[in-house]
Amino acid sequence: MTAIRIRGLGLVSSYGIGLARAVEGLRAGRDGITPLTLFRLPFQDQIKVNQFDHSPFPPGEASAPAILEAAVSEALAAAGVEAAALREAALVIGTGGYLFAAEAEYRRVLAESGATSEPALRAPGYVAQRVADDLGIGGPVLTLSTACSSSANALLVAADLIRRGEVARALVLGVEGLSQIALSGFHSLMLLDPAGCRPFDGARRGMQLGEAVAAVLLEAEASEHATGDALLGGANLCDIHHVTSAAPDGSAMRAVMEMALADAGLAANDITVIKAHGTGSPDNDSAEAAAMRGLFGERLPPFTGLKRYLGHTLGACGAVELAAFLGCLRAGFIPPTAGCTQPDPELRVTPLAAVQPARTGPVMLNFFGFGGNYASLIVRHG
Amino acid sequence: MAERTPVYIHAAAALGPHGDAVAAERVRLATDPAPFELKELVKRVVGAPLRQASHLVELAAVGSQLCLKRLPYAAPENTAVYVGTGLAEVRKTGALFHQVFPPGPGMASPFDFINAANNMAAFYVAKLGNFRARNLTVTQEEFSFEWALKLALDDLHAGSFRQALVGGIDENSQPRATHLRRIRLRDDQPMGEGAGFLYLSRERSHARGQLLAVRRLPAGAGLADALAATVRELRHADEDVELLPGFRLEPVEVAALGRALPQARIDPYLETCGCFHTAAAFGLAARLDKPRRALAIHVNRDLVGRAMLIVARIESDPTTTLL
Repeated sequence: MTAIRIRGLGLVSSYGIGLARAVEGLRAGRDGITPLTLFRLPFQDQIKVNQFDHSPFPPGEASAPAILEAAVSEALAAAGVEAAALREAALVIGTGGYLFAAEAEYRRVLAESGATSEPALRAPGYVAQRVADDLGIGGPVLTLSTACSSSANALLVAADLIRRGEVARALVLGVEGLSQIALSGFHSLMLLDPAGCRPFDGARRGMQLGEAVAAVLLEAEASEHATGDALLGGANLCDIHHVTSAAPDGSAMRAVMEMALADAGLAANDITVIKAHGTGSPDNDSAEAAAMRGLFGERLPPFTGLKRYLGHTLGACGAVELAAFLGCLRAGFIPPTAGCTQPDPELRVTPLAAVQPARTGPVMLNFFGFGGNYASLIVRHG
Repeated sequence: MAERTPVYIHAAAALGPHGDAVAAERVRLATDPAPFELKELVKRVVGAPLRQASHLVELAAVGSQLCLKRLPYAAPENTAVYVGTGLAEVRKTGALFHQVFPPGPGMASPFDFINAANNMAAFYVAKLGNFRARNLTVTQEEFSFEWALKLALDDLHAGSFRQALVGGIDENSQPRATHLRRIRLRDDQPMGEGAGFLYLSRERSHARGQLLAVRRLPAGAGLADALAATVRELRHADEDVELLPGFRLEPVEVAALGRALPQARIDPYLETCGCFHTAAAFGLAARLDKPRRALAIHVNRDLVGRAMLIVARIESDPTTTLL
């Protein structure tokens, strides 16, 4: 499988605008939990969230394209690429949708007129086309919406567009904003942990939602002997066990990891570190632990979860966690699993508890979403 | 460049806004279709009710199952699923706004919330078909189905999968004026809904047609020239050409394309399904209901003029050997 070079990364997260701020926070072991000030909820005090600073961005519907463009600017600057170089590129966005933008517009109208209105629901692809037009992107433009694996799948689709010669370069964005509806829905499902995300911890009770936008610039690798961070392969499949929960034995999660390794032409023992999905929900962490045990056995490499740092950014987490994790590896360290203080003995796996030095080599990143949509990425670091 | 492996169409099903599933059941729309309850049809086609499923999921479930039932063999587990949808779960999402925002009760219904996930339809398509392979939901306005089809075609050409189920689904919503604004329809266009599914395979046996290409044209490209070039490139001698115009094309544009391609017959499929982002899926799948050999070209554009073409060869008889 031809490797796809990961050129530029950009991130807007609860740590601030810029990947370096997130990496700094993760190095310090500081979680990215913030107060929720965007709106009020009846259960405000029973949840933890990761909200970014919205003050630099316009209000209402215009917020989404502006936030995306901040992440894109960073990715292009990091890659040393001018926006003009995107003319023939592809734009692939992964998102759960733009509920947050429709809600922001709804709140704006409500605040200004005091009247409720029909929500400004748009086709999710609308934002992609608008961003493409703003950036002068004339290549393929598409949006993937596969719940929490959306932007991981966007990375896979973008890599395919490059490998198949459709484009030489692709910009991938992962986008998610905090949403009253999403928070309310997950609260109704009793899937939010009042103490915040505690991945693989014995006391874990659920998720902690966050918002973030990440930009990843992909390019065809110049030669097969190239070095540097690259997407080596990956896979996506559907776990048809249940609409909201994984096959408890982790078989589908293991299958997608195996398919990703096969796609990259690697074996399980080539993997140096795993970025787990690690939502902190009892069932999903249990299935994920079973999948890792089954695939790696006694040779399970160090693994870590990022969702207490960044929040669960749902459709964005594929690109967001790829950017943050690679940022840490480039800075020379693997962040420990924030929120896991007493690993669950029943899982029979223990996530990384302290910062470890990073080393070069293949890395696995896993993403498991509602509707059984799973994606696994294999990335070469170094 | 090496010859690419052909991709064949083994089965198709189009579900229209009145629950119509075959050519004889199609109803010509004079205005918006009346709301149609799918629960009974779901029971009949799927074999059991889908409790708590949304209308969009029901459209997907019935459309995909009809398509699979028309296959002369059992679809294998490693069938990849690609679903295109423009507005996705617009009714459920609208309902959630009314639940969560004033004067609603302030909390989301858990079932509505689960169903509002944009990939829920693709999950049900996979679950009902027992498919455990790639599963993608593409949402890109007018080109949602075209992109789902292109990703599937490219994966099949590349050999990533040997077979794929590809669909386009969209539902309409009320009030009408809001829905028209959401998808930017003209007031004289009926707001339609429906589903269209194609089962694609690299295997030649059982082929009812061949998917030849899904092409993207940049803004400003002349549609008539692009269509004429496509016909010159892909049409077999003495083969009929049929043009399926998408919902963004103005009547005057369709007439101009007809003049530019005098040999082409226009298939006005929108008259039976109305206008929605993924109407192309309905149009193409419904065309497979008619046993008439032709090179079928679906064409649509977006509001700034970028266009996409779908080109398929449709056989007159499922037993005909293609090519």
